[in-house]
Amino acid sequence: MSVKKVGVKPQTLIEKIFFLDFMKGLSTTIKHLFKRTITVTFPYEVLQPTIRFRGVHGLRNVDGTESDDFMSWVKKLKIKPPEMGETRCIACKFCQAACPVPELFTIKAEKLNVPEDHPHHGLKVLAVFDMDLSKCMFCGLCTQACPTDCIIHTDIYDLSAYTRRNWVLNKEMLSQIADDFVSRRRDEKFDEKSKWREDQPLWPQDEEDLRVRAKLWDGNIPKLGPNYFDQQEK
Amino acid sequence: MSWISLDKAKKLEEQFAYAKVGNSNEYVYVEVPKENLIEFLTFLKESPDYQFKMFIDLTIVDHDVKSDPRFQGVIILFSPEFKERIIVKTWATNEELPTLTTLWSGAKWAEREAYDMFGIRFEGHENLVRMFMWETYPYYPLRKDFPLKGYEEVELPSLNEVERGDQLEGMFNYSRMHTAIPTLEDLEITQKARMPKKSSQIVLNWGPLHPGTHGTIWFLFDLDGEYVQQCDIIIGQLHRGVEKIAENIGYQQFIPYTDRMDYIAAINENHAYVIAAEKLMGIYDRVPEKAKWIRTMMAELSRINSHLLWLGTYALDLGALTMFLYTFREREKIMDIYEGITGARFTINYFRIGGVFADLPYGALDAIEAFIKDFPQRINDYERLLTRNRIWLSRNKDVCIITEEDVYDYGLTGAVARASGVPYDLRKIDKYDAYGEVEFDVPVGEKGDSYDRYLVRMEEMRQSARIVQQCIERLRKFSKNDPYFFQPEDPKKLKISIDGRGMKLPEGEVYASTDNPRGELGFYIFNKKASIKPYRVRIRSGAFYNLQVFTKAIIGRPIADAITLLSTLDPVVGETDR
Repeated sequence: MSVKKVGVKPQTLIEKIFFLDFMKGLSTTIKHLFKRTITVTFPYEVLQPTIRFRGVHGLRNVDGTESDDFMSWVKKLKIKPPEMGETRCIACKFCQAACPVPELFTIKAEKLNVPEDHPHHGLKVLAVFDMDLSKCMFCGLCTQACPTDCIIHTDIYDLSAYTRRNWVLNKEMLSQIADDFVSRRRDEKFDEKSKWREDQPLWPQDEEDLRVRAKLWDGNIPKLGPNYFDQQEK
Repeated sequence: MSWISLDKAKKLEEQFAYAKVGNSNEYVYVEVPKENLIEFLTFLKESPDYQFKMFIDLTIVDHDVKSDPRFQGVIILFSPEFKERIIVKTWATNEELPTLTTLWSGAKWAEREAYDMFGIRFEGHENLVRMFMWETYPYYPLRKDFPLKGYEEVELPSLNEVERGDQLEGMFNYSRMHTAIPTLEDLEITQKARMPKKSSQIVLNWGPLHPGTHGTIWFLFDLDGEYVQQCDIIIGQLHRGVEKIAENIGYQQFIPYTDRMDYIAAINENHAYVIAAEKLMGIYDRVPEKAKWIRTMMAELSRINSHLLWLGTYALDLGALTMFLYTFREREKIMDIYEGITGARFTINYFRIGGVFADLPYGALDAIEAFIKDFPQRINDYERLLTRNRIWLSRNKDVCIITEEDVYDYGLTGAVARASGVPYDLRKIDKYDAYGEVEFDVPVGEKGDSYDRYLVRMEEMRQSARIVQQCIERLRKFSKNDPYFFQPEDPKKLKISIDGRGMKLPEGEVYASTDNPRGELGFYIFNKKASIKPYRVRIRSGAFYNLQVFTKAIIGRPIADAITLLSTLDPVVGETDR
């Protein structure tokens, strides 16, 4: 086992008399005095969260980018085949099963009230999907469990509310949040089958965002390149 | 591996007729009857062939209400001479056990915790009071017959919803009944019970809410003038019963809860837990290489992150405000990188039993490399400011010396142990994940004073940067198609998933630990039969044991040193309280 002894020589007389230790310390602080500011002036400059950011949840709607086995899941759970713009949720409750705090979900599906000869007879639709975000840990397990890529994390992080009931989001609100997120940042995060894109960059690559983010790195933000030897340069 | 070999343990069986040796998941345990426990442990501690003189952990397993005897004590020891560990088990008949405080002072708090959580009485313990709960609390929460939700018996109307009263429906309707909470009288009784004999006139209360305590810790100092005669600590204000939660939840689902224990180094907490669970599952050796390297790299970044916070707040406490701003600047970079890789900055939940949940995003290694290249210069800056500064020296040098004896006696680990000259580093001893393949030194102090603890942590950051650099170089050689999550050969036999649904872990038990920035973090998982929930999870928290030595090291020191000592011990309340 390689062991390294730490230790520092005691102060010498010259150091003591001429206050060399303070001089050295001051030289560091003076050096920093001439550096650029690194803080982001928040309400005026807003940094976009990263692509994988785990913010407020959303429920995605059918928009033609479902995965290939989406319809088979719909059939398996006897859900009315959703049309364009309807929710992808099939009320399978996988998200609840994967959740560390399962009681935060209330998911209910109900049977359609249609005559027997109707093609949708005996099929169900999602009736209730409530999430109590005051209990949520934003761990991301629900999004990984979802078989239809319906529940997603968006990049919304300001969750303040005046009462606790404002933290409970219903399915309409969740759909709206997801629609808004998808219209803004879908191509950055998802591929055409709604899976995570393989080449998601570490940070958003639009110029305004990079400019703000570069402040922290003294204006010298690292250029992102491939991680592995066989990864393609972007 | 760092466990005693079965052959060597068998010799114990020959020597002591009552000892029974067994092994499970690469570790060895010895079962002895309660009456012979002290004799046996004394032998283990003092015999030159064994020398198990370092105390690691003591815990209790509740074998359900019906079984008789019901409670089993589990003691984990370490031999610094042979670099081996051993587990000693004994049945606590009549809910009683002999105290170990005669052998190791470190057992004092562990026994109090066992009493608090299971109601086991330790004969001969000097002051067996509760550890986390208040003195008048009537239940023993970790017993199997105590419900997860507790007994809701106090009415507390919610302030938030007061205008609507009970008219709310569904999820909005919060129950008015709560589990017991301590009243002011309860706290007064607790305070008096913790320090029964006052030796001087003034008892100074420090905390529970004080910026210098770095969390909710409540200190009691018995002062003679400015000098501390006696000290005790009341913790538990952040106790959330993580061990109880673990017994009632799936294996992957528990990982987010470990994030919230040591929230400063969340990744390291995940790390210890997933390694323990993988060992119990028997897949530890087959976890993909790439995942192991990613985990090593992330864990070391997290160590730098944690030490930066420590340095900033420590210097701030001693009056050097500038340091805080400098370290938070670097911390911000690490958190930014974390956010890009995992999606969260603080409570990360990135590791999974079987690997990690996602591959590194495009450009992650470049960003980390840029940070690591720049970082050693920053440490030089910090050191230039502090290391030779005369105020810094006089507040740290020879302050609160912790000797090598104390380290073994109190089960101190991490940087605190290393500063006292004990090169106890699980990254070297256990070589978990990729630590066996990277080169780094273990920094060791000479004296064990606060200044040494400072120097050791500074050097640790440099070594971590070295490890991360090596990890980056190795990771670049992987292919993008290499798996980052374990894939079983036969998915029907062994079900394992990233989201953790339907995951079953086999029967058995395991103790695995990692070197967290705050010391050894160990997980003891005990499974009676294969199930989707663990039967018992014990978390051996490094911060908990390190904090315990505070009560000894502060004695005879002026009260101003309390801040220095607490900062250099660096406990995180989320982990001490669990």
